[in-house]
Amino acid sequence: MSTTRRGLSERLVEEIEGLLPRYPTRRAALLPALHLVQEELGRVPHEAVVGLAELLGLKPAEVEDTLTFYGFFRQDEPLGRVRVWVCRSLSCSCRGGEELLEYLGQKLGIRPGQTTPDGRVTLEVAECLGACDYAPAMLADGTLHKNLTKGKIDAFVESIRQDASSGGLPGA
Amino acid sequence: MATIIIDGREIEVPDHERLNLIEAARRVGVEIPHYCWHPGLSVVGSCRMCLVEIGRRDPATGQVQMMPKLMPACNTPIQDGMVVVTDSPKVRRARAMVEEDLLLRHPVDCPICDKAGECRLQDYHFRYGQPERRGDVRPFSSRRQELGPRITLFVDRCILCTRCVRFTREVSGTAELMVRARGTHEQIDVVDGFPLDNKLAGNVVDLCPVGALGDKDFLYRQRVWFMRSHASVCTRCAAGCSIWVDENQDRIYRVRPRENPQVNRWWICDDGRYDYHHVHDPRRLVAPVCREGSGLVPIDWPELLGRLSDQLARARPLAAVFSPFLTVEEAYLLARYIRGLDPEALLVLGPIPREGEDERFPGGFTIAAEKCPNRRGVEKVVAHMAGEVAVFERLLSELDGGTIRGVWVSGGYRQEWIDATTAARFDGLQQLVVQDLFPSPLTERATYALPGAAAAERDGSYVNRTDQLQSVSWAVRPPSGVRPEGSLLWALLGRQRLYDARAVLREVAAEIGHFHVAAEPIPEVGVNLKVNLLARSEGPAGEAEGVRQTRPS
Amino acid sequence: MSDYQPVLLANIHREDSHKLAVYEAAGGYRALRKTLREKSPQEVVGIVRASGLRGRGGAAFPTGLKWSFLPEGHPGPIYFCVNADESEPGTFCNRVQMEHDPHQVLEGTILSCYATRASTAYIYLRYEYPLAYRRLQDAIAECYEAGYLGKNILGSDFSLDIHIHRGAGAYICGEETGLIESIEGKRAWPRIKPPFPAVEGLFRKPTVVNNVETLTCVVHILDRGVEWFQSLGVPPDPDNPRDAGSYGPKLYGLSGHVNRPGVYELPLGVRCGELIEEYGGGVWKGRRAKAVVPGGVSTGLMSQSELDTPLDFAGPVSVGCLGLGTAGVVVLDETYPIIDFLYNSCRFFAHESCGQCTPCREGTRWALRILERIKGGRGRLGDLDLLAEIGEGIGIIPGTTICGLADGAAWPIKTALRKFRDELEDYIRRTNPTGYMATGPAEAVDVAEVA
Repeated sequence: MSTTRRGLSERLVEEIEGLLPRYPTRRAALLPALHLVQEELGRVPHEAVVGLAELLGLKPAEVEDTLTFYGFFRQDEPLGRVRVWVCRSLSCSCRGGEELLEYLGQKLGIRPGQTTPDGRVTLEVAECLGACDYAPAMLADGTLHKNLTKGKIDAFVESIRQDASSGGLPGA
Repeated sequence: MATIIIDGREIEVPDHERLNLIEAARRVGVEIPHYCWHPGLSVVGSCRMCLVEIGRRDPATGQVQMMPKLMPACNTPIQDGMVVVTDSPKVRRARAMVEEDLLLRHPVDCPICDKAGECRLQDYHFRYGQPERRGDVRPFSSRRQELGPRITLFVDRCILCTRCVRFTREVSGTAELMVRARGTHEQIDVVDGFPLDNKLAGNVVDLCPVGALGDKDFLYRQRVWFMRSHASVCTRCAAGCSIWVDENQDRIYRVRPRENPQVNRWWICDDGRYDYHHVHDPRRLVAPVCREGSGLVPIDWPELLGRLSDQLARARPLAAVFSPFLTVEEAYLLARYIRGLDPEALLVLGPIPREGEDERFPGGFTIAAEKCPNRRGVEKVVAHMAGEVAVFERLLSELDGGTIRGVWVSGGYRQEWIDATTAARFDGLQQLVVQDLFPSPLTERATYALPGAAAAERDGSYVNRTDQLQSVSWAVRPPSGVRPEGSLLWALLGRQRLYDARAVLREVAAEIGHFHVAAEPIPEVGVNLKVNLLARSEGPAGEAEGVRQTRPS
Repeated sequence: MSDYQPVLLANIHREDSHKLAVYEAAGGYRALRKTLREKSPQEVVGIVRASGLRGRGGAAFPTGLKWSFLPEGHPGPIYFCVNADESEPGTFCNRVQMEHDPHQVLEGTILSCYATRASTAYIYLRYEYPLAYRRLQDAIAECYEAGYLGKNILGSDFSLDIHIHRGAGAYICGEETGLIESIEGKRAWPRIKPPFPAVEGLFRKPTVVNNVETLTCVVHILDRGVEWFQSLGVPPDPDNPRDAGSYGPKLYGLSGHVNRPGVYELPLGVRCGELIEEYGGGVWKGRRAKAVVPGGVSTGLMSQSELDTPLDFAGPVSVGCLGLGTAGVVVLDETYPIIDFLYNSCRFFAHESCGQCTPCREGTRWALRILERIKGGRGRLGDLDLLAEIGEGIGIIPGTTICGLADGAAWPIKTALRKFRDELEDYIRRTNPTGYMATGPAEAVDVAEVA
């Protein structure tokens, strides 16, 4: 990956600049830009904060102010290759969501917020995934896992193991 | 004209004044407590301390209809017919809740907090809070974090009013400060490698309504209740910001901005804020000396007063150097004194220190490149007395030509202002009197080297770069042995009793048209000479900007 | 069970319902064609005003009235924001609409932009809806292709661009000024009002923010007319001049302890019990309901005895709840501990408080601390009064905070304490048999431990 002096790859800079026509201010591209950075780097490191500030005409503190507000972005520890959100809000919780969260954590050997030592999975709690009709629910990257059970979690963990061993995951 | 009623007190406000309820209430002596609102910053309305009840009075029936919703006074502009209640049970309850909330995670470490004694959290809790603390969480330490070279943050004392953050975004334009995270995890912070370091940074400490932001210059050096605050003027540059000098027993501990809508509004720069250190510099001249042979020996003031004028009179032709650090009064007395000894004496303006260009900040604040407080005031006095304002170089060339035999130099510069080569051009004079703060190549050559006063030790008036004249009184007494310029000249002119700067200014006002308005008492924010001249130029006195040749009597 | 035929959801069960061709075949974009041809923007505002449509996002503000606050003759730009940040616990109807019928959402957006003369619309979509994102993206592309978006839509002089702006996990972005700040690239701290967004909103320009479901209602109001819309739902209470009525169809999101969770479209005013029994197939496991959340957690609780309440805009209020909210109905069965509801709700709001206003930032966390202690077996009876007082301070006394999040945090506390106090007291007595009467402050905890 070629890195420009801004701490962002050329491709990222290009993609972010592609966002600019959507908004009348450069700053408005910040949130989508943060998503792009985290997608590519698994986190938003310090150099990227400085780079984004430069690119969008902001001060680094303005970028970091925004980025730390949203629960979504990571700064220091990169995310695992799969980011799993287990919902703990009322509709899921009352149908066993929190027990399943604990079960998944035990299976992976990590607590919510942590990433498995092999860098495969980051476990997160979600405040309502908006999938209450499928409670208890879990979002793993782009896929919604509905009506979770321990069995489904077992299968999910197994699928991740297989993907990892066969090198099937992107970036693996 | 809007008529509103605040806690039963009626107040009329002209239409052109756009006041919010905090400001309007102040006019009738009602203090609405607030943390996040500041007149110099954008309104966020987030601390929720200024909530009040609002209603309307029906002009026809006189009936008052109150709204059920509490409203933030900071974001509510006055409107004709508005009825405001600031101490209803509902308001008191909401305030008590905010106070209790703010102490939940606060360490309550007032004994070791710099802000104790001038802390809004303390004062408001005492007045609006409840006596009991019911929260489960009792933090007993305040994490300290450095935000920059001069500012430190006590994280857990912060109430998240965001004044400091808004200041760096809106006034200094440097935006080093940010809020990190969300909810109770929030804290004020900087980004690694981008510290809070700008020329207005010190203002965030004054803005902080609690003890969260500390100025390392002041930290743990003095309890605020031992200090007295003196209204003064900053002499660091030609902006002439209004300041408070906070001192205890003639030692200055802190300088803060003094609100002045005509000059600096609510802010000062760090150059001015920390400039006070030179007042207590151990290198200052603190005793008068006179030349004996090749050396300088101490002399006491009465003896000096007894012989100085005679010696100067014998050293005609005379010249005097008018420092731009002199007050208007001192410049006037010096001119009178020197012209009294030699009616043809050459009067020149001292060197004008300049550094770079004016520094302008997005919020409108400007630091002047001209690093002296009173060029304009001194110039006007000299121009009036001499008919022209000669520059320092003129004196130097006269000295080179040997046409001058006695020179009085007023210094007061807070930095080095004359090099050895320039000073050498004063060699060979019969009399060289130098009154200054610090030793210099010139004081080494003086026949009389006299210790002068720092600005905080002087009475008098300064005219800033926008022609605003401000009069101040001394804040601290000078070190023993120092005789302030005004006092010395007053005595040399044979005037009785103690130096009275106010009387001198009245004299100046009567004699010099430019200062005419200073005959009246000077308000705390000062008075603008130019505005008053323009107003007066309609009238009979036509000598406004012109220089009238008047000999000192 | 009524014989009501769904309108908003009419399309979602078709195969490829998210595709333009399927939507058009079912009459999609008919309203747009007709409106652009026959109605001026003012007329559209007038129709929507006359329909009595109230916002479906939670606040139930009359939509046409909101549009009419835009300054007349403004030179532009005017911005339009679609609030698709559906994050209220128990709420998912917007997701279903966006995933299965994105063109209906877009048609509503285009019509509403036409009415408000907006030239740019941003769909603020929560990040947790990846399928909705893909479907909307594709649908927008289809619209540009088909001339429903872009310059001179369908040959008219109306032009519009729609962009999707994805959130990043913050509930507060559903508050309209929080949403605006978030699009501007800032932390989503709601703005103090006035100024209201209609006057000074996104990028300091006049702005309208409307919920997804609200916009889909606009499509059908313009397609079928005001009369049709007002034939559904509940007219205003003639004895209450401030009641704006509850007209139209409504999506009810049913979840929790029911046999058939899902989205049900019914005319406003269905009785809660009927919704659960007739549509949701009754409470699971043959149990009875103990409590029901009428419209997202923030609206509070209805007790079993209140299930006769009509789920219109006035019904939940009449039984002491905050309102109909999002109509996300969550059923809790007779075995579910109310303390768990309270804890879950307070944890949510403490996590999601934006941290701007003192009472909300501190109060939500304080309430959570107390509930943690109670659940840890160290509760005291006095805690319940303290909780009630905290609730009052953060959201029951009107005006204590800038936005409505704190209200939402307070009503679950208030309703749970009012309606289930005995159970909560029992819980404390049972779990802390020796200390439940204790008074005075709790033991000190270092902030470092609890941060």
